[in-house]
Amino acid sequence: MASVTQTVSMRRPRSQVSSVLRTIFGSQESVLLVVLVLLIAYVGHSNSGFLATRNMVNVFAGYAYIAIAALGMTMVIVTGNIDISVGSLMVTLSMLSGALVTYKGYPSWLPLDAIIGISWLLPIVIGALIGAIIGFFVTYLRIPAIVVTLGFLSILKGVLIMVSQGERITGMPTGYALAQRRPLQGLDFPIFEDFFRMLTMPVFFMVFLMIVVALWMRYSPTGRAMYAVGGNAEAARLSGISEHRIVMTAFILNGVFVGIAAVLNATQFSVIQVTLPPIELQIITATVVGGVSILGGTGTVVGAVLAAILLNTITKALVFLDISPFWTRAIQGLMILVTVLADLIRRQRQAE
Amino acid sequence: MRKFVVLTLVLSFILAPLAALPAVAQEEEKRWDGADDLPVNPLPCGDEPAPEPEPKEYDGGQPVNPPDLAGKEITLVDVPKLIGIGYFAATTKGQQEAAEELGNVKVTTDAPTEANIDEQITFIDNYITRGVDGILFAANDPVAITPVLKKALEQGIRVVGYDANSLPEGREWFVNQAEFNGIAKALLDSLAAEKGEDAKFGIVTSTFTTPNQARWIAEMWAYAKECHPDMVWLETLEAQEDYNLSFEQANTLIDKYGDELDGLFGMTSVATPAAADAVTQAGLCGEVAVVGLATPNAMKPFVNSGCVKSVVLWNPVDLGYAAVYVMRQVVDGNFKPGDTEVEAGRLGKLKVVNGSEVLLGPPFIYTAENINDFDF
Amino acid sequence: MATRETSLKKSSPALFQQVQGVLRTQEGVLLIITIISVLILATQTDKFLTVKNLLNQGRLMTEIGLIALPMTFIIITGGIDLSVGSIVGLSAIMLGYSWHNLGFPLEVAIAIALGIGALAGAINGLIITRFRVPPLIATLATLAFYRGLAEGIAQARSVTGYPAWFFDLGQRETLGIPNQLYFLVIGIVISAILLSRTTFGRSLYAIGNNELAARFSGIPVNRNKVLIYAFSGFMSGFAGYVLVSRVSTTRSDMGSGWELDAIAAVVLGGTSITGGTGSILGTTIGLVLIQLLKNGLALSGVTGDATIVVIGSVLILSTLINIVVQRRLRGV
Repeated sequence: MASVTQTVSMRRPRSQVSSVLRTIFGSQESVLLVVLVLLIAYVGHSNSGFLATRNMVNVFAGYAYIAIAALGMTMVIVTGNIDISVGSLMVTLSMLSGALVTYKGYPSWLPLDAIIGISWLLPIVIGALIGAIIGFFVTYLRIPAIVVTLGFLSILKGVLIMVSQGERITGMPTGYALAQRRPLQGLDFPIFEDFFRMLTMPVFFMVFLMIVVALWMRYSPTGRAMYAVGGNAEAARLSGISEHRIVMTAFILNGVFVGIAAVLNATQFSVIQVTLPPIELQIITATVVGGVSILGGTGTVVGAVLAAILLNTITKALVFLDISPFWTRAIQGLMILVTVLADLIRRQRQAE
Repeated sequence: MRKFVVLTLVLSFILAPLAALPAVAQEEEKRWDGADDLPVNPLPCGDEPAPEPEPKEYDGGQPVNPPDLAGKEITLVDVPKLIGIGYFAATTKGQQEAAEELGNVKVTTDAPTEANIDEQITFIDNYITRGVDGILFAANDPVAITPVLKKALEQGIRVVGYDANSLPEGREWFVNQAEFNGIAKALLDSLAAEKGEDAKFGIVTSTFTTPNQARWIAEMWAYAKECHPDMVWLETLEAQEDYNLSFEQANTLIDKYGDELDGLFGMTSVATPAAADAVTQAGLCGEVAVVGLATPNAMKPFVNSGCVKSVVLWNPVDLGYAAVYVMRQVVDGNFKPGDTEVEAGRLGKLKVVNGSEVLLGPPFIYTAENINDFDF
Repeated sequence: MATRETSLKKSSPALFQQVQGVLRTQEGVLLIITIISVLILATQTDKFLTVKNLLNQGRLMTEIGLIALPMTFIIITGGIDLSVGSIVGLSAIMLGYSWHNLGFPLEVAIAIALGIGALAGAINGLIITRFRVPPLIATLATLAFYRGLAEGIAQARSVTGYPAWFFDLGQRETLGIPNQLYFLVIGIVISAILLSRTTFGRSLYAIGNNELAARFSGIPVNRNKVLIYAFSGFMSGFAGYVLVSRVSTTRSDMGSGWELDAIAAVVLGGTSITGGTGSILGTTIGLVLIQLLKNGLALSGVTGDATIVVIGSVLILSTLINIVVQRRLRGV
């Protein structure tokens, strides 16, 4: 609701908008942050239970795996491509991780820690590999990304169902549960110990990876080249950037982040099973609501992560506000639309 | 100016639903009683025996000139709601067991990878063209699936449903895993036993439109009113057939109601383990009871840890097994409209209820004592 | 394929040139892929290549086909419409709701459903043109919003019990051909003429090739865009009506995921996702290829999970073959 008021106020002539507001709405990231804070404050005001620590942790942790996958999606979209196979890939890699850790055929000298390590890392490697295959099709064979990933969506889903046959995976060792939503144990924090303990692993991963990727995309030559390729491929080529290499990198890294998200997803639960919700739509939505332009060239991972958190906050907020569950999806769609419109209007104003 | 008019139009269309918000935030709707306008039939409270239902005339459909295949080898196809989930993997297992036992039945399972009404229809249609002797199905939608099943009957193909029914005229028999009111009673009585008569509970279901879940919730509503009037029905949330979303929705209910919450019902074999996972990770085992429908393998970690006391379900392996047996008996001419029971292999004689339904039996309750004896 | 070409080349150079001419087009290559697939499938089962089965497949692919036609227009302009599946659901619900709950005569209810579809599409178009929101983002948002409206209006209730005449469209035949198939054929013909023989159609290619240039050359870009999105919404509404008539009930989850099926048919048909090229003929072949593959594989005893693996591979491979063939031919 908060975002509606913001849009309206932004529609007034520019002279009335104070300089403070202009700074606040200077970027999609700050718009999202303000909307997020206002929404949390509003819901907290009408139902104080919303502000309880446990719920706040769930608000931030619930979509951590979506946010982490959105990091890779940001790179793919920034280079002017898209990947709609991420949902199938994530579920496949989650099952793979669970299958690896519960596999009984390892040689007996292999310590449990090594097995757990394999089941954490191998899905990420496989993710990178599949990303590389997709990238190869897109760059060297010049098949549009939407066609390749539409194909991979079907292929991965079909293979997954053929192999898994509806089996569930249970009985993972305790050490495997990396991302459970409980207070952290066995870690030492020099300051704010209680606060950090509450944060849970998924939030740590999300924040840490977001910072790393944001800095990398801003300051590393490859990261900057991604924006260049998406913004103007011709100019990028003239300035000596290898478009193929950059797009390849984007797809491989996308596979890596989907792999990480998959491992976090798998290690969150005591049961791993194939359920195939359209996660790709949630990930793409988070990315574009975060201000990443589908035309390529602009947008940051900070926006994508904030948007993922916002999407989860909206879902939970509607329950806390006692909105009829029949209308929640309509309101979610509406809020997505309003946020996207706000971003577009802001950009057009800045361009004027 | 024109731009402004267009803008206003677009915005008002989009904002119109917001105006309806106060109206939609109503207490009654929030609880959602599974209302699908069908009559409910709550069982008597406690251990009172259920009254004998009035016998109903056979109301199923009949195939047109089916070939006489009595005693001969038959080829069946099984089209569940979807493939790739544990529940239907278990019914398939039961069907294969029965086929092996009988020796003259071949059954293959094939269905869409998503619970999608139009795709399921296409699958059945393809099998009609391909030519099978019989179709076993579990419907995604009772009405939508009926035309294509009637088409099968018209071509002399035998049709038997299980798990989720079509309209009666779409199939000869429906193998009913457990009656809706029986499930409702088992769920609520289990929660009452665990948390007392004044328990406050929330529900995590798949979607409000899934027929079986809607019926169970409607029957729970009716039974709770009669037999557990002091229980408080807090809220029902949708979570698709999605483990992550079910986990999140369970967390939301835990967070929203805090100490008030005594129990969570999971209405699907996905929602129940996810709710148990959420309660376990929140460290609320014992404080928030999880009762629900689920298959044993998914619930073993939680039942063995003591976090979940009872899991309600029929045995899906038996359900698939019974469906194949009923089909064989129909084809052999041993089970005809008007019969009151049917012989189903190791399950013994199964009762006919409700005109054209074969009842598998009362719902089964898995507990720490017996759950490890099952593997599906 | 190679041997056939060479033998043709020897016997008749003129014919070869004709074949080569067909091959030069994306549609020609795709047609050959389709024919080969059909021949392979026909050797697997004799139930596949029968008139009855093929007509039945026509019935089953009508709804996706109706949506794929305007989707072709939209993708040619460089846009995309992800909200079509949700519009199917919204229109279906509106049909049942306005008949059952609001008490309109069923004929009026059908008109309302189609009107709501067109309106929903037009709103997509207005958001895209007036606010300059990229189509993918705009329709991603309305995908959630329209589905949400359908759920909110339906309140989890299905509407059934339609009078018998209502099922004529979806469940009966005229002259042995499923009724809805006539509408699909009419839709294909009209869309093909509209796209290839009118100024309006040519303007869509111009928009896809270079929107700015199209604007400068006086093409009413915004108006035409709103029109095709409205058309897309209308056809989705119509597909919703056909579906309700075929399955005799309304549910708010109808049509979910159809956007990807329609897009798959269009891009398989050779329409470039970046805009500027494509044809209704290509989309039609793409649609038929996917439907026949699904059907033929099912009839040959391939299960659903393996079928989607094949479909996904065919989508990638046939696009690849097309790209390679086109590149070769242009190189020659």
